[in-house]
Amino acid sequence: MIYAAGVDVGSTQTKAIVLSEERKIIGRALINTGAFVSQAAERAFKEAAKDAGIPAEDIAYVVGTGYGRYKVNFGNAQITEISCHARGAKFLFPKTQTVIDMGGQDAKGIRVGPDGDVKDFVMNDKCAAGTGRFLSNAADTLSVSLDDIGPISLTGKKPVRLSTVCAVFVESDIMSYLAEGKTMPDILAGVHSAIAARTIALVRRVGIEPEVSFTGGVSRNIGMVKALEEKLKLPVNVCDDSHYIGAIGAALFALERAVAGVTEIKDVQMNTEPGKAPLIMPTLPGTHAAQ
Amino acid sequence: MATTQVQEKPRLESIFDECRVISEDVEFEAAKRWLAKNPGRKAIGCFPIYAPVELIHAAGMLPLGIIGAGNQIEITHADSRFQSFVCSIVKSTLELGFTDRLKFMEGMMFHSICDPARNLASVFIRNFPGTFVEYVHFPQNLASPLGTQYLETEYRRVLGNLEARAGRKVTTEDLNRSIQLYNQIRGILRELYQIRADSPQLISATESFVLTRAGTLMAPEDHLKMLQEVLGLVRVRPARPKDRIRVVLEGSFCELPPIALIETLEEAGCYILDDDFLRGWRWFTSDIPIQSNPLTALAESYANRSYYSGIKHDTRETKFGHLIQMAKDKKADAVIIQAAKFCEPALFDYALYRKALDDANIPHLLLEFEEKTWIFDRARSEVETFVESLLFD
Amino acid sequence: MAANGQKSDKKTDYQGKMHNLQKDMIGRYYDSLTACAEGKGGKAVYMMISGNPVELIQAFDMIPVYPEVNALQLAVKKQALPLILEAEEMGYSTDNCAYVKADIGMYFKGRKTPFATIPEPDLILCNYVGCNVYLQWFEHLAQYSGREIYNLDIPFSRTLTDEPSEEDLNYVVKQLEEIIEVCERITGKSLDYKKLQRIVELSGETGALWCEIKKLTMCRPSPFDSYFDSVTMMAPLYCLRGTEDGLWFFQEAYKEMKARADRHEGPLPEEKFRFVIEGPPPWPYLRQFRDMFSRWGAVAVASTYSTVGGIWEFGFRHDPMRPLESIAKHMLQFNLTNRNFIQRYKQIKDYVEQWNADALVIHSVKSCRLFSAGQGDMREYFTKELNVPTLLIESDLEDPRYFSEAQLRNRVDAFFESLEHRKMLVAK
Repeated sequence: MIYAAGVDVGSTQTKAIVLSEERKIIGRALINTGAFVSQAAERAFKEAAKDAGIPAEDIAYVVGTGYGRYKVNFGNAQITEISCHARGAKFLFPKTQTVIDMGGQDAKGIRVGPDGDVKDFVMNDKCAAGTGRFLSNAADTLSVSLDDIGPISLTGKKPVRLSTVCAVFVESDIMSYLAEGKTMPDILAGVHSAIAARTIALVRRVGIEPEVSFTGGVSRNIGMVKALEEKLKLPVNVCDDSHYIGAIGAALFALERAVAGVTEIKDVQMNTEPGKAPLIMPTLPGTHAAQ
Repeated sequence: MATTQVQEKPRLESIFDECRVISEDVEFEAAKRWLAKNPGRKAIGCFPIYAPVELIHAAGMLPLGIIGAGNQIEITHADSRFQSFVCSIVKSTLELGFTDRLKFMEGMMFHSICDPARNLASVFIRNFPGTFVEYVHFPQNLASPLGTQYLETEYRRVLGNLEARAGRKVTTEDLNRSIQLYNQIRGILRELYQIRADSPQLISATESFVLTRAGTLMAPEDHLKMLQEVLGLVRVRPARPKDRIRVVLEGSFCELPPIALIETLEEAGCYILDDDFLRGWRWFTSDIPIQSNPLTALAESYANRSYYSGIKHDTRETKFGHLIQMAKDKKADAVIIQAAKFCEPALFDYALYRKALDDANIPHLLLEFEEKTWIFDRARSEVETFVESLLFD
Repeated sequence: MAANGQKSDKKTDYQGKMHNLQKDMIGRYYDSLTACAEGKGGKAVYMMISGNPVELIQAFDMIPVYPEVNALQLAVKKQALPLILEAEEMGYSTDNCAYVKADIGMYFKGRKTPFATIPEPDLILCNYVGCNVYLQWFEHLAQYSGREIYNLDIPFSRTLTDEPSEEDLNYVVKQLEEIIEVCERITGKSLDYKKLQRIVELSGETGALWCEIKKLTMCRPSPFDSYFDSVTMMAPLYCLRGTEDGLWFFQEAYKEMKARADRHEGPLPEEKFRFVIEGPPPWPYLRQFRDMFSRWGAVAVASTYSTVGGIWEFGFRHDPMRPLESIAKHMLQFNLTNRNFIQRYKQIKDYVEQWNADALVIHSVKSCRLFSAGQGDMREYFTKELNVPTLLIESDLEDPRYFSEAQLRNRVDAFFESLEHRKMLVAK
């Protein structure tokens, strides 16, 4: 039995996934990256192996990804998180052709090809517009928790028009609107709408083809999901565990290289063993593989 | 108070309201109505700053000022074509194109104001094949008579293209008639600006702005009638001077500030005695002479009968001379340099203006703006602070 | 570029010859600037690189000074930032071109650089070939120095045909005649027409060689990198064009590169990807930027930036029988900046096809809107209409603050990963 692993070293969290030869996820780990990146990579890897119930040495190939990928010094290869993201998204949503990723610090759009390859990509990592940081600034200004802004935004009736998507200036815009007497739901609806529009404009550069999948930390924000769907006029796939997508993609690359020589790789089976819930499951209707 | 209680708005205010509506209309209804009433006539959009509108008009077409989309539309398509460090007007104008709002026109005329505007012309050509796109190269060597001689040949070339598009030849009489018409319009605008400088309570900067802007979106014949009426009414307007600081404003020669921003400046305590809003449509300091060779008259007037503007690159004058002179002539208390964000020409000029204004001991303020704003608290605070610093000096 | 660690190879000296020649010649060029600055003689004429009449200046034995080249040298030597900050303190904006800021900063700091003392201008000759910043830059220098300025106005390539009109050509030629008068006044000498012809002839031959050198990169493997190596080869093209030295340099460069081509030698151990690149380089980080591509075995086979000094690969030659007309044509039609965006698309398309490139890389720079404004449209055109894999990345040509190595590397890696994948699929 061949095993492969992917380790995704992000700026705040490090994720690791172990795959079996049948392309099943058999182990995973999620830890805070902290200051010592290569240690974090190693720890995550070992924990995932433990979770899989196999010795770490049995893992034939490891791919490192994420900003810290060059610190995965026990890895066999480093691949960008863009390529891994595309692969991982295809694994979770086999019909997806466009991935919108909104993370804490950056936002990406990826057009995904039939075998999970990257057809085109665009990134915004220069400014906080369209990222979690923008939303946390907004949440802080309104003294609301980040978990609540999504649901609250859905109750807004007349979304306000933000004059800026600059995370620094959004605060004063929000203050102005509060002073004018606008309600919090309306303000938050406006915030989500502006970010959704901005992100879609970004992703449009690579072309938007269904199915569209939404990944990254911000994808857990139901307000953003709805805002995107509304503006795209398309349903959007999300998954509760989408922060593993990079690690899954990396593990898939690793597996491919580990079994090089084998001609056929079977399609992923989302069926679970009786009595055991799958480790990764899409959670919203309209997404693929709701079996 | 001149009149008894009136329920309707005074005529002057109604005209300004109408102008404001036209100015903010990104569907260009006023122009479309005129075209509907004059079937067979065509329209050509003019991107800032200066366009030889007489050539377009003489060819029987309607010149329209296509100057961005203000804060009226979301930019969803044009964003991907131009980077974030490019001014908004380039993107919003392209967006107007992508949203089919410019289809009712034959095409656009651009010129060499700056690099993004120049590249925009090419982007238009590529994305809207079949539309008329003209690029006028204005002479950058005005120190030599060669410059205006060249411009005459350029005007001949452009006129030829306009004739082809309009399907008719343009005669000397056609040209002189158009020059005469626009002379009259510009003459009244100059008079109104003079009134504003002498008695700013009679017409505000906002009002003259919307009046000028509306004119760029309607038939000049109609605009002239409106201007004649406004001139008469303004002269006898019952208004009392307010206690405000006197400023002249420069730097907004291309991307237009939101109307509410100009209002905000005035409310924050400024009389804006002069500005370079829509400079291209108020290019000439006096009437273009009517003569047997109108193209020569136009070319020479471009160079020698025009207000100074940084984008003329006229090396016969210093870049800041006119600003200092303007501030002195109008007895201004201060100068506000109101430049669009990312506007390279204006921001370059500012470096020279700043030193010159400091040397001349003229207080000044740099205000950067974007056409697509609708919250002005920050700008207001800045200006109020500035005004206070002058009043309480 | 030249030999990396091939110390045992006897050819090392020969391979390095062009490199050393360039250093020597440009060194002497800069010495002449310093001498002029120190009052030891010579009249300095400030000009821009793109589409200029340096032949006229050489004919009067005046010294061509290029603020653009000075600015980029400052960036390469990592001296630009403090000067940029000086300029910003004077009131220049963060959104103004950083070349200008570095140059103005340098001007006010005594015009001393590590490579030369830059003389005050005797004539500021602004050859306006499309770049509006050129006009601003030189106006400011004229204001600060108080010296004479002449705006040489070159009408932009604005019609559907590539050829400039008779009127445009006449306008430029007549201005050149005025400039001759100005130079005669400044130098006290009259123009030696035969000398001008000889100089124009040298330019023509130099251009022809440059064209041949560029065509060498059509070979597989390409003997040199048409971006990273070209930009270092370019300096003699403007600093020394029209001189015997300049011609000699390009003769040597051609010999050296042809020899490499014949030996099937490229700058990298293995050429895996061939790309065309558009946009100026990030001068403060040239080496790091190059490494990002080298590690993928990616070699630039053509670049648009290497044509800012002039485009000779599509047949143009300076003509000594019609010196003023051909100088005018060069400025009107055969340099990158005076051509419109659509012509640039065609130029790149020709490069991709004729030089057999796998991809297009667009390096967008914040400072230079002439290059960058609208590159999003360029990207659309090449990816969607021509199906050329295209990568768009951003930094700056002069200001080191806008270069984010990790992010750029990420994008470059992701791009070549997908190119690699594409190649694998085709190979199957």
